[in-house]
Amino acid sequence: METLIIAFIKIVIVTLVLLTAVAYSVYAERRVSAFIQDRLGPNRVGPFGLLQPIADVVKLVFKEAIVPRDANKPLHDLAPVISLTVALATFAVIPFGNTIQLFGREIKLIIADVNIGVLYILAFSSISVYGIALAGWSSNNKYSLMGSLRSSAQMVSYELSLGLSVVGVILVTGSLRLDQVVLNQTNYLLGVIPAWNCFVQPIGFITFVVAAFAETNRQPFDLPEAEPELVGGFHTEYSGLKFGLFFLAEYAHMIVASAVITTLYLGGWHLPYIDFLDLAPMLMSIIGILTFATKVILVLLFMIVIRWTIPRFRYDQLMSLGWKVMFPMALLNIFITGLLLLIFS
Amino acid sequence: MVTITINGKQYQVDENQTILQAAVELGIEIPYFCWHPKLTVSGNCRMCLVEVEKMPKLVIGCMTKVADGMVVHTANDRVIEARQAIMEFLLINHPLDCPICDEAGECKLQDYAYNYSRGVSRFDETKVHKPKRVPLGPKVLFDAERCILCSRCIRFCEEVAGKPQLHFVQRGDHTTIETFPGEELDNPYSMNVIDICPVGALTSRDFRFRSRVWEMASTESICVGCARGCNTYLWTRNNEAMRLTPRINESVNSHWMCDYGRLETFKFVNEDIRLQEPMIKQDGKHIVVSWDQAIETAARRLKDFKPKEIAVIASPYTTNEDNYILQKFAREMTKAVSIDYPDHIKDGDEDDILIRADKTPNSTGLKLLGIRGDGKKTGIPEMMQAVKEKKIKCLIVMAEDVASDPAYEKVLSNAELLIVHTWSHNKTTALADIIFSASTYAEMHGTMTNFEGMVQQIKPAIITKGQNRALEGLNMSRWDKFGTQYDKWGRGPRRNARPGWEVFSQLANAMGGKFRYQSAEDVFREITEKIPAFKGLSYQSIGRLGAKAPVKEKIGV
Amino acid sequence: MKDNGSVKRVIRKEDLTFLQKAYITEIAKGLRLTIGKIFQPKFTHNYPDEPWPFQPSFRGRPVLVEEDGIERCVACGLCSRVCPSLAIEVQASETELEKERYPIRFEINMIRCIFCGFCEEVCPEEAIVMSDEYLLAFYQSRDAIYGKDKLLMSTERLAKRLEFLRENR
Repeated sequence: METLIIAFIKIVIVTLVLLTAVAYSVYAERRVSAFIQDRLGPNRVGPFGLLQPIADVVKLVFKEAIVPRDANKPLHDLAPVISLTVALATFAVIPFGNTIQLFGREIKLIIADVNIGVLYILAFSSISVYGIALAGWSSNNKYSLMGSLRSSAQMVSYELSLGLSVVGVILVTGSLRLDQVVLNQTNYLLGVIPAWNCFVQPIGFITFVVAAFAETNRQPFDLPEAEPELVGGFHTEYSGLKFGLFFLAEYAHMIVASAVITTLYLGGWHLPYIDFLDLAPMLMSIIGILTFATKVILVLLFMIVIRWTIPRFRYDQLMSLGWKVMFPMALLNIFITGLLLLIFS
Repeated sequence: MVTITINGKQYQVDENQTILQAAVELGIEIPYFCWHPKLTVSGNCRMCLVEVEKMPKLVIGCMTKVADGMVVHTANDRVIEARQAIMEFLLINHPLDCPICDEAGECKLQDYAYNYSRGVSRFDETKVHKPKRVPLGPKVLFDAERCILCSRCIRFCEEVAGKPQLHFVQRGDHTTIETFPGEELDNPYSMNVIDICPVGALTSRDFRFRSRVWEMASTESICVGCARGCNTYLWTRNNEAMRLTPRINESVNSHWMCDYGRLETFKFVNEDIRLQEPMIKQDGKHIVVSWDQAIETAARRLKDFKPKEIAVIASPYTTNEDNYILQKFAREMTKAVSIDYPDHIKDGDEDDILIRADKTPNSTGLKLLGIRGDGKKTGIPEMMQAVKEKKIKCLIVMAEDVASDPAYEKVLSNAELLIVHTWSHNKTTALADIIFSASTYAEMHGTMTNFEGMVQQIKPAIITKGQNRALEGLNMSRWDKFGTQYDKWGRGPRRNARPGWEVFSQLANAMGGKFRYQSAEDVFREITEKIPAFKGLSYQSIGRLGAKAPVKEKIGV
Repeated sequence: MKDNGSVKRVIRKEDLTFLQKAYITEIAKGLRLTIGKIFQPKFTHNYPDEPWPFQPSFRGRPVLVEEDGIERCVACGLCSRVCPSLAIEVQASETELEKERYPIRFEINMIRCIFCGFCEEVCPEEAIVMSDEYLLAFYQSRDAIYGKDKLLMSTERLAKRLEFLRENR
């Protein structure tokens, strides 16, 4: 019972924080993109435009939700819900801190401490394609359908390299538990360099990040909603709150992807060298949470900046990159990792 | 006839003419300020300088008689240089008043400064200042600075109006014009000096600053002030009559018109007391109705009366067409025998220049149409007596304010049915049972016959409700042309008025008649066919200057 | 086609070096540019908060110059005549002042006005000039007809424009 209450509290807090973060990541994207383009971006609502996300949400909620006449209404309604739910649910297995001592008990800073966290993430990220595929198909619109077809093909192509990249991490860690993955990165290589997987697995890191971009439909891989070609892609026929849900889902995916990258490759909640200071455990826990948040934000910013740096891939380029570059590289990574492990153990 | 050469071309001209007269007749332009075809020559402006070969100096065209073999140059370098010098002198003390000057736009000095001057002034000193707002008389304001001392106004008063009232005083560049001591410029033709003044020195106190010349459209019309029927231009802006100016017609009014005609005969067109809509009386009150309703009511009620009980009053104030149709309506539809029109003769108010004692423009026309018949029995007093005795129960009145005579006002209230077709509220309309709102002379086509039997045309200058300036073929100003109906100037006041011939044709048709007229011209065509005094005339032959019937009939004026 | 440099050179895959083909370094270059841009000054003008600095040559809505409490205008009607869109309507009347004539009614239909400045150019009295005001929005078309009450503007307020006009006559 107690475990349930604690889990419930954790779920509520994490969901709220995540949704807020999603809203503000939209704001961050608009501001950063404006700065990159010599503009100011939204700065009218509240100080520095900080209330802009709220205004956006209010606007989206009050807009009329238009459903095409020949659309499959239940699926049309269901698609954005799937997208957002999957995005949020993935976060359940991410350790956003080590442990914290509260009210005389030790609480693990992870919602679901499952022993197959990595598989869970891979599984859920694959489900999210259903949201897009259903949205495209149920809209009964050629652009939507083309968007969703592209998305499905893209997902299938990149899921592979994503999964294979992670295999390297699993080999190094020897566990599918995500908290174990993080703990494994708290060591130091040669006593100085933090043993983050991005240093241990550079090829895997790159392939994973690229695949993660593709999985979240971010530029340069946002072909499912390529505006110049497909109007709005899979969400052409969405408006109002349902469009808002897709919008939220996209950014939630971004945050989750950032969290996964942080956890798997960037040392999770671990701040290097802090463990030498011998601080109070309570402080350490808080620093851990803040470190995790900072790392996620930095990865997010990286994703945003990349969006305004690299132009969109052509569809054939996307496919050839996925199958001819990413896939062999991920395989190569596993091979090298296995070989090195075999030699050194 | 003598042969002269102007600018290298030979012309045959009358030997009594001056060079300027010959040039004007031949259409060769020689600029002039002080010369006027109807005034004596004074030759003081020097603008008409021309070169005549074998004469040592340039000569003024207005004073030099033509002679056989004369060779004249009107535009060679010497003449042009002389003109530029004259213009420069004239402009030395002329103020730059064009923005506030009413003459701007129809100013000789402006035109000539544009065409014949150097374009720049070399005069740096202070200009001579003179009084700027001198009331010379009740109707004319004088600006001494603008005056170029051509003396046209002085000569006009002396020679045309027959009352010398103006003269020059002072000398040199201080010369100015004044009235004789104890006098003011108050002759009945005083406002003509405004028209003949080549600059803006003499301006109308009535029209002062009311509108710029180029903002108005002018329509050829005739004055309705007296039996002379002076030819006029009626100037309109924003569907409102602004002023009247005389139009040259040598056989009627020459270049002139009287002050009364100029000031008093157009203002009622704009006034608020104009009838806006046809009305009928219900329970002692006048209510606005549509034309169909008004005509239908009139037709229904007229059927209750025997021909003997109906009297019809026509009007010399309105056109031949209106009166002809009214008469035809009366004789054919109501079979009325009592038809007449009142005279408006002001004994003594007459002169041998223009003004006539008969203050209506068309009484001759009515006489020729035969409206009065044999006279005596059906005169207005007899009619009123019959109304008083209730022998006549129904009266149809067109354009006349019969009740303005207090004796008749009471009598008229005895009438059971009073139908009035007129343009303004007056005592008669107050008593009327049915009121048809009439178009004024400024709003319709038609003809009027002046005291000499000259048939002259009037044209609409102002549109009534439902009309469109462009479609009706009216003269249009720039604002009329390019404004839309949503602009303020396109929304000037419009009355729901119709001319008499149209209303009484419709009334006749409502009573079962067959009056098929599409326009005033249709009516006039029938008049020329039916009335011998109009035989051979048409709107085309009347034209803009009027015409007399080719067949001499006994007019009997 | 002549090889005069104006012909666009097509970059083929064979032309690229290995590093360029590997893409990663090129991404790094791009990132340097975009991230560098973030810290550069911004081009955007904070418009309604910071008023736009007008040059005197700016043609805002036409106004009547008010000097010593009365308009300079003498109602000559030239602006009305020259106005290509027939936006101006003037009715003159007489005044006891030295100028004799003044506009008893002066109306500009701001819906018709096209800000061409012809009225300013033609005015013999420098009485109608283009101001720096340009915020004109109406709920009713009749509100767009500006009378003298809205058109008068003091010489102090118009000093820059008047000076500009004198310099560029």
